[in-house]
Amino acid sequence: MAQTTLDNITKVFTEDDGNEIVAVDGVSIDIDDGEFLVLVGPSGCGKSTTLRMIAGLESISSGDIRLGDRVINDVPAKNRDIAMVFQSYALYPHMTVRENMSFGLEESTDMADDEIARRVEETAEMMGIADLLDRKPGELSGGQQQRVALGRAIVRDPSVFLMDEPLSNLDAKLRAEMRTELQRLQEELDTTTVYVTHDQTEAMTMGDRVAILDDGRLQQVGTPLECYHRPANRFVAGFVGEPSMNFVETTLRDEPGGAVLEADSFDYPIADEIAAELPESSNPVLGIRPEDIEISEGAPSGEHEIAATIDVIEPMGDENIVYLQFGDDSSVRGKSIIATIDGMRRFESGQTVTVHVPESAIHLFDGASGEALHNRRLDAADSQVPRL
Amino acid sequence: MTDETVSAGRTVADERLSDRFDLTRVGLYAALVGLTIFYLIPVQSGFVTSIKTSEALINTQPFAPPGPDGATVEKWAFAFDALSRGLVNSLVFTVPATILCAVLGSMAAYGLTLVDWRGQVAVFVLFIAGIFIPYQSVVIPLTQFWSQYAMLDHRLGLVLSSHQATLLELIITHTAYGIPICTMLFRSQYKTMSWEMIEAARLDGASVSRIYRRIVLPLSIPMFAVVFIFQFTQIWNEFLFSLTLIGSVNDPAASTTLILSGLGEALEGVDYPLRMAGALITALPTLIVYLLFADKFAEGVRV
Amino acid sequence: MKRLVAFLRTVRTERRVRTDGGTADERSTAGRWRDSDFLQSAPFWGPPLVLMGLFVYGAIGWNFLLSLTDHSGFGRPDYTDLGLQNYWAMIQDPSIWEATRNTVVLLVVFTLACLAVGLVLAILLDREIRFGRTFRTVYLLPFALSFIVTAQFWRWMYNVNDGIINQFFGLFGLGPYNWLGDPRLVLGAVIFALVWQFSGYTMVIYLAALRSIPTAQYEAARVDGAGTFRMYRRVIVPQLRPAIVSATVVLVLFALKAFDFLYAVFDGYRPRQGSDILATKMMREGFNNSEWAYSSAIGLTLFVLSLAVIAPYLYTQYKRGNL
Repeated sequence: MAQTTLDNITKVFTEDDGNEIVAVDGVSIDIDDGEFLVLVGPSGCGKSTTLRMIAGLESISSGDIRLGDRVINDVPAKNRDIAMVFQSYALYPHMTVRENMSFGLEESTDMADDEIARRVEETAEMMGIADLLDRKPGELSGGQQQRVALGRAIVRDPSVFLMDEPLSNLDAKLRAEMRTELQRLQEELDTTTVYVTHDQTEAMTMGDRVAILDDGRLQQVGTPLECYHRPANRFVAGFVGEPSMNFVETTLRDEPGGAVLEADSFDYPIADEIAAELPESSNPVLGIRPEDIEISEGAPSGEHEIAATIDVIEPMGDENIVYLQFGDDSSVRGKSIIATIDGMRRFESGQTVTVHVPESAIHLFDGASGEALHNRRLDAADSQVPRL
Repeated sequence: MTDETVSAGRTVADERLSDRFDLTRVGLYAALVGLTIFYLIPVQSGFVTSIKTSEALINTQPFAPPGPDGATVEKWAFAFDALSRGLVNSLVFTVPATILCAVLGSMAAYGLTLVDWRGQVAVFVLFIAGIFIPYQSVVIPLTQFWSQYAMLDHRLGLVLSSHQATLLELIITHTAYGIPICTMLFRSQYKTMSWEMIEAARLDGASVSRIYRRIVLPLSIPMFAVVFIFQFTQIWNEFLFSLTLIGSVNDPAASTTLILSGLGEALEGVDYPLRMAGALITALPTLIVYLLFADKFAEGVRV
Repeated sequence: MKRLVAFLRTVRTERRVRTDGGTADERSTAGRWRDSDFLQSAPFWGPPLVLMGLFVYGAIGWNFLLSLTDHSGFGRPDYTDLGLQNYWAMIQDPSIWEATRNTVVLLVVFTLACLAVGLVLAILLDREIRFGRTFRTVYLLPFALSFIVTAQFWRWMYNVNDGIINQFFGLFGLGPYNWLGDPRLVLGAVIFALVWQFSGYTMVIYLAALRSIPTAQYEAARVDGAGTFRMYRRVIVPQLRPAIVSATVVLVLFALKAFDFLYAVFDGYRPRQGSDILATKMMREGFNNSEWAYSSAIGLTLFVLSLAVIAPYLYTQYKRGNL
């Protein structure tokens, strides 16, 4: 199978009162054969609409979807050789599991009945649902229904799997299990998969690559690590990672000693090579991940150390999430920043501490457009596992 | 019924109410029983009257059963004799018309609900409005159409006798006017069906008509039961089309309601026992269907 | 580091603006049309629409045409000379005005009575009681019967000499009344019988609406100290509005076309004086007097009156997305 190409696809919905809503705005992605691509973004970002356009369930307002060199915009859904797993599983309630799984083969191929039966049983075996074949969906648990829905897609051996938040109806434990299982299956089958989710943890752990959408526009496509360490813009930086990246609005100022980022409560000198990446007299937004912030007791002494007051500490066991206010006066309330520190370290709320923001870990974004101007240094990043 | 849902609300009953509680309860049941008598007495009185001899009719209360020597099945036998032709005719047009409107209604509802296309609500409005139109505004063209233009008895004269042609007219007419309500009943169910399931079937390669046959139709069986029961009683009970299309009580195609409307007419007045027997015989098929499937009938009414 | 360079390259490729997408014109629009859901679904809704459309809307159009002719008696109507004379004749016909007055009385009293009685029945049954289902089945039973059947029962009930109604009034030393013969009583008697037959219908509609009200609201009202009556009046009944509206539409439209019952009670097209309504007048003018054109004009008037009820109802239903 050749690659699947989304070429500048756009979807405009017209409401009854004539209002036009652009749900998907010029999205272009090349999906390689056998790739596991995750479409992720907040609700209403257009990820499901994009998936439904690939499926052929939604018409394309402009742009092309290609399989190899063939434009498939007008190919009806049933001829696209795709299988889809729905959030609600969408099993046929009046059919047994066996009938559910056979249905697609019966409708879309002229395969002989015994061949269909053989393939259904093989797939059921692989999915561990062989003993459920003669039950109806209503008699199955949520997890079992989920497996049947997957099995129904797999048995058809399509060129592309489309999955629309397939795990969101499962409880947390089962969801984690199925996440690994899905990855294993996808690797085994080596079938191109487009997976939609709003859950960034799923996106980061499952995808070969992640496509992040916001407001109908594609923000970034890349491997999970790339999106984590080299976000294309402020939206991606804030969306990926948990807790989110801290953002501080600053003004770039040239001083005799070198460039300085001036924030409300502190000045942050930056190296010349970083300053060179910034447009002159701009208002860059400084971004720093909570796990890159170091906290120590005592007064600030180094270059990138800032006095701060601890607001609240949320102990999570292995780590503490610390909410801080810059400055040593706890009565002044600004936007708090978040740091994560080792769970064994002890701090008190109200305590004045020193925050170290290492220059190697900072990101800088354009104050107006949000585009990334500078991302963190990478030699350090390569070894680091993203925190999700 | 609503019993389960609301019962929890009663458990919060105020303590002080508890001594009055039994009294309220008694009052409630008294009201319910009183209403039961009110709703049943016309039928009950009709029944006891239908088995009374002429003497018993004069000598007993209208709601009291006759004594052993005042009882007779003579009126029932006579009424059955007069109505049997009508019962057969009614059955002959009611059953096919019921099935046809259910099938067509289900198809229309499917095409207007589970296949998505622009303007389908406008078409559906045409169907809904069809439920409510008064038959008075169509009945004259209707009779003219059948008697002066379609003339089935004339055109199909080789295959159908005149009274069969009339029954065919009734089947077609009842089907046409039954489609709107059936469409609405089915649509109310189809709107609750999972849209993702329909999409899954599309992606599984099923065409619009295959989805109907393999997915929607099997899932509509409960609604078919509702529609059959509701529509059967509606068409069986109908009178205006019988009156205008059949025309005469003496027509061999006369329906049971038509014959009942003129049963035992004589100069000396109405033979009430005979009328009551006739009414009960006419009502019997619908009564049986209703009593067996009261819940499904209520469902048909509700939508 | 190598991966990153590769990554930056990919990102640049991904985000490249594509300019070669303008092939829309070459696609066959015919194929798209053939595969469209509109056409594929047409075999399903098309035939029912045609059959229903011809019999409902075709017939109404034809009826309008007929109402403009002077067709009466036997033979075919003459469609060459059309005019509104039948509508003028209606305005000048005192019996039309009497029928209109009776129709309005029937419509208003019947509808309000059904709504009220149905509400009482629904509230009585909307609780945990033994045989609740049986009671409901009994109250709805008249609605399952033909008007021709119930008319026979009520003729017997209203019988001057032996009727149960007169016996009941006799207990209080009243009557006997000639319920179906006295012009002052007849309309009320007919309405009473029709309410008997239809109140079960409104009850079912209310019960469905009551069931959809969450139990928590009953509990909250109880906790707030509301008695049963106040709870229903303040909390529950206001939420029945949609049910009341749709039941009212059905009842009003029924009142406009009620004919079967009156025909059967009075053994023919001529209801006793005081109970002639537009629906019976229309049928009598046509099928008894063969004044087809005049009758069509009354029929069309009934249609317009119905439309005045249906149109706003459907419009609001559409606006609320209930269709």
